[in-house]
Amino acid sequence: MVVFGTTFFNFDSFIEKTDSIEIIGKSVFPYGYHNILPLLNDSGRYSLGDARRPLHETAVLVEDVVHTQLINLLQQAAEVSQLRGARVITPEDLLFLMRKDKKKLRRLLKYMFIRDYKSKIVKGIDEDDLLEDKLSGSNNANKRQKIAQDFLNSIDQTGELLAMFEDDEIDEVKQERMERAERQTRIMDSAQYAEFCESRQLSFSKKASKFRDWLDCSSMEIKPNVVAMEILAYLAYETVAQLVDLALLVRQDMVTKAGDPFSHAISATFIQYHNSAESTAACGVEAHSDAIQPCHIREAIRRYSHKIGPLSPFTNAYRRNGMAFLAC
Amino acid sequence: MASAPWPERVPRLLARRLPPYPPPPPTVGLPSMEQEETYLELYLDQCAAQDGLAPPRSPLFSPVVPYDMYILNASNPDTAFNSNPEVKETSGDFSSVDLSFLPDEVTQENKDQPVINKHETEENSESQSPQSRLPSPSEQDVGLGLNSSSLSNSHSQLHPGDTDSVQPSPEKPNSDSLSLASITPMTPMTPISECCGIVPQLQNIVSTVNLACKLDLKKIALHAKNAEYNPKRFAAVIMRIREPRTTALIFSSGKMVCTGAKSEEQSRLAARKYARVVQKLGFPARFLDFKIQNMVGSCDVRFSIRLEGLVLTHQQFSSYEPELFPGLIYRMVKPRIVLLIFVSGKVVLTGAKERSEIYEAFENIYPILKGFKKA
Repeated sequence: MVVFGTTFFNFDSFIEKTDSIEIIGKSVFPYGYHNILPLLNDSGRYSLGDARRPLHETAVLVEDVVHTQLINLLQQAAEVSQLRGARVITPEDLLFLMRKDKKKLRRLLKYMFIRDYKSKIVKGIDEDDLLEDKLSGSNNANKRQKIAQDFLNSIDQTGELLAMFEDDEIDEVKQERMERAERQTRIMDSAQYAEFCESRQLSFSKKASKFRDWLDCSSMEIKPNVVAMEILAYLAYETVAQLVDLALLVRQDMVTKAGDPFSHAISATFIQYHNSAESTAACGVEAHSDAIQPCHIREAIRRYSHKIGPLSPFTNAYRRNGMAFLAC
Repeated sequence: MASAPWPERVPRLLARRLPPYPPPPPTVGLPSMEQEETYLELYLDQCAAQDGLAPPRSPLFSPVVPYDMYILNASNPDTAFNSNPEVKETSGDFSSVDLSFLPDEVTQENKDQPVINKHETEENSESQSPQSRLPSPSEQDVGLGLNSSSLSNSHSQLHPGDTDSVQPSPEKPNSDSLSLASITPMTPMTPISECCGIVPQLQNIVSTVNLACKLDLKKIALHAKNAEYNPKRFAAVIMRIREPRTTALIFSSGKMVCTGAKSEEQSRLAARKYARVVQKLGFPARFLDFKIQNMVGSCDVRFSIRLEGLVLTHQQFSSYEPELFPGLIYRMVKPRIVLLIFVSGKVVLTGAKERSEIYEAFENIYPILKGFKKA
């Protein structure tokens, strides 16, 4: 998956805030579709780059895609566990599934390390936390890091995977997301920014029980353990983020410039500034035109799954059931 | 946890009576709570004086017996600390105060010169120049870090050779004997160092000490009040005291961890109290290797911060994962402090071994944060 250049979008002036987007705690999707986590609601995708009031149809589609992908991922992980003869799905199984895509694996590892680090720091600040930790007995510091390191150690034949720990390359996708967020926030005022920040804090891991229910693992014999659930929550978040990234790209590609034969070859940054000049002038434009449409999402998925090139049948072993995972 | 606005602080500090000067402890003492606040005020006075915006303060010290005074000359901040001022009587009684560390006379030094020079030239004088005790502007960022280790470094406010007298403050509270009416409220100023107005407050101090004897945890838990011991869960006694409000973990090896104090002195005092409890239970407890392991401070810059910008420009130091934790984690290299920066403007600093590190870290981060102020 290559994300070239930076994508940009405008959000319209806020037309009205009927649902005012209860950011945290909104348990029921506006259409009463089914219980959906707040992240997949408008605000969550807003924080990842979509428009301020994304379409509901898009939300439904995204939810569908994420759910399907996660279920498939879980099933594959269960198969791997069974091969090992284990009784729970452990983070090692998920790491195993991701071993092919270095960049995404690295991002996951970084996430796990940051999680460890954050618990360490927050523990040091509050003395109650410190006592709790001591009382819990086990040495919890860096547990995720240890899990990851031990596992990669065991499966690494060529040394590539272990090299990732020392690797300090910039994660381009993450970089692009940071830049996009920075651009978005620069033009916000403090009220908008406060709302944006709140929506960024949404995640699947906050309401772990709801996430579990949503995933509906009850039909499966082997269930994931706590750390594996954390990773799944992170992968769900990544999937949504990837979808938004790709959809923004697709939408950008769809904009054709009259009389410009090389429009598809112009760098994305150029296009975005050009666009922004126009759109800010035309503020009365409908909200919908700036939001990601379901067709963008569908096109993005189609392109992502499309097998291109002579060796494509031999890549991505986990495509046998036809599903290309966005998160791994 | 922003520091109280200035007009409130000043009368509160001044309201305190001068405490009798305690006999110097065998080991170099740490500032008590009161003195800590007066150091704070000294530090803040320093900032105010530099800008020349501080209103003329009343004479703070008696020039006559036992020592001279000076007047902060607001109109000429440069000489504020140099002038040998007109003396004024003070009604305070300082006969019990040991002021042997005061320099002989005021020199006409530029206040920018390191304070320490003056100390080295004037030894053990009875006269004033309390300004010599105030940090020079270049040392402001060290703030009021006063513990035994800092006494010997050049940033110390005190005479290096004078290990006993660590209390310049007896002079300062002198001011409380003066009428409040003569003290005009401090006006906010544009300080040379940008965050003069905001000082991080210490929230938690973790320290360790070695009692140097094997302990019977069961006996301690049975006889001591406010002690918990659950050997199946954790191999230490958890004891709490109310003043200073702290918690201690006491291990059978004799090592003890003390958490929850709000200042270095309180932490030490609390640790001593725990040690005394253990002593009274019949163990030959000593008080070895008291060391502060971690200090946590917090403050509020009072404006919103655009964290997305900060994480982009300071990538190698910051990590910001809002879905994981609402604050940005900034790992400052010098001093080695971790800062948690929140959108609201609250900043938490942790990982310090000394108070000065917290102040220094905040001084370093403040201009950066101002650059990402969210209007």
